[in-house]
Amino acid sequence: MRSKYTIPTWFAFGWLGFAVFLAVFGSFLPVDGYQVIHGDFIDSPPFTPGHWFGVDSNGYDIFSGIINGARLSVFIAVVSVGLGGAIGSALGITAAYYRGRYDSFVNSAFNVVLSVPNLVLALALVAVLATNVDINQPVPAWRRLVTLIVSLTVIIIPILGRIARAATLAWSGREFVVAARSMGMRDRDIIARHIIPNVLPALIAVGFLAVGVVIIAEASLSLLGVGIPDGASWGGMIARGRNDLEYNPHALYIPIIALAFTVISTNHVGDVLRGKLDGREGRL
Amino acid sequence: MRATFWLQRLAQLLITVFFVTFGCSLLVQLLPVSPAEILLPVGSPEERALLTKEIGLDRGPIGYYLKWLGEFVRGDFGDIFYSGGREAVSSRLAVAFPRSMLLMIYTQVLALSIAIPLGIWSAYRVGRRADKVISNTLFAMSSIPNFAIALVLVLVVGVRLQWLPTLDYQPFSAGIWEHFKHMIMPVVSLSVGLIAAYTRLLRADMIATLREDYITMAASKGLSDRLILWRHAFRPSSITLFTSAALNMGGLIGGAIVVETIFATYGVGFEVFAAISGRQYIALQSIVGLISMFYVLFNLIIDVAAGFVDPRTRDRRVNA
Repeated sequence: MRSKYTIPTWFAFGWLGFAVFLAVFGSFLPVDGYQVIHGDFIDSPPFTPGHWFGVDSNGYDIFSGIINGARLSVFIAVVSVGLGGAIGSALGITAAYYRGRYDSFVNSAFNVVLSVPNLVLALALVAVLATNVDINQPVPAWRRLVTLIVSLTVIIIPILGRIARAATLAWSGREFVVAARSMGMRDRDIIARHIIPNVLPALIAVGFLAVGVVIIAEASLSLLGVGIPDGASWGGMIARGRNDLEYNPHALYIPIIALAFTVISTNHVGDVLRGKLDGREGRL
Repeated sequence: MRATFWLQRLAQLLITVFFVTFGCSLLVQLLPVSPAEILLPVGSPEERALLTKEIGLDRGPIGYYLKWLGEFVRGDFGDIFYSGGREAVSSRLAVAFPRSMLLMIYTQVLALSIAIPLGIWSAYRVGRRADKVISNTLFAMSSIPNFAIALVLVLVVGVRLQWLPTLDYQPFSAGIWEHFKHMIMPVVSLSVGLIAAYTRLLRADMIATLREDYITMAASKGLSDRLILWRHAFRPSSITLFTSAALNMGGLIGGAIVVETIFATYGVGFEVFAAISGRQYIALQSIVGLISMFYVLFNLIIDVAAGFVDPRTRDRRVNA
């Protein structure tokens, strides 16, 4: 039997699966922690025995850094896309289902948030939320992480919310929904049984694209110095690698390659899923 | 009919700008500390009280917003405070804004002038090898974040080959070549993603247009493919493309933060970053308000323009 997916798609699935595997089990692998300093190997190029990806100018092993960065990137992406998707689709679905004033309110709220560029919004939220009462004390690391996730969630809400709204608008006019309503089914049950199962595939497809958006946004924030505090994410590694790209370019391009592969994979998977969806709709 | 349509659009625009700016001003008030304390870290309580009064923070949320709005529409965007002095945000933006504008225009021109031929070509050769190569390459390129391209360019072109300067901005007065030399890398790193996005949009629309009857008609009249593609198919297919290009303008003006920071171009995006890292919340509020205003404005302009290019869209867009 011919496979449903092409080779690049399997590659994308494979890479994403690998990233998730590293994220979950990375700390059990027999590699040194990412903050262990290998003093004898500073600035080693890739393929040095024991340090496949080389060592950066701080003495951190880049392979360990990539593994740890995968954990942070996957964690942040899953949490903020999950939260943002849940909030956004709850708003979008109810808005499109009930229509009226509530709908126009939700829709204009989405438009308001979308009218500020992603990164500007995230930066502004990080700046405000990560302000301490005592302004001379740095904000604790956990709070910066929470702040980061909250800001990225806010970016995702309108993106997925609009998709959910548009899909619900299309489905709630369908005959089976009208039939269910005329039979006296409760709105809550119609949404749960008839709307959500149909809207979900589109949301998942766009959710993959949203993961890419979040990963890039997180890396951008790290580059600007407001990301995860000790620069442990891929974005943080890029930011550190930027400082001595002249003598130690692999500290820059290895995390860039990891990041780019991940984003290409999520975008590709999102695209393939969306394409299958269109095919399904087309056959109806 | 037309008048109510425009009134509706204008109302939408104003409402969006209102909510963005009001949201920003609420954020400033949600700060756990008084902004005066942040802006004047070594000031005496009297000085801080004076500043609080000057900014209008003693007037409550609505009063503060109204005062800010009154100054905003008169072009007073507040001040940036640093140790020993202050500087008007408007005078900084007067420097930064033209730079961002130029950056945005060059980026769009470069992106469109590459994307349009590529999109037309790959729609013309749909399913063939050329189309597949173009589509797949662009897909991969669209996924690479612009800062990654920027950093690789800095590494290869700037540091290794030493062809182009990696930092700073030069005005026209320093010489045209000098000006462009500093713009090439930022513009290229911003364009790559856009080229991919634009080509995809145009390709999809072109494929649909090329299936229309009037294209078959034109072909059966014996018109050359080149003429059909450019004259008959491109114009009706270009609306989504130009809409998306216009929507990107607002984002490019304020959203090129990372690229502007990497290349030290110091446009509006950099001002946003500077305002945030310097905790200049009042300045931040004004700049974000301004950026969102541009976004909605471009949105409106493209609606007008689309109405001219394709009259069918005029009424369809009311509900969109």
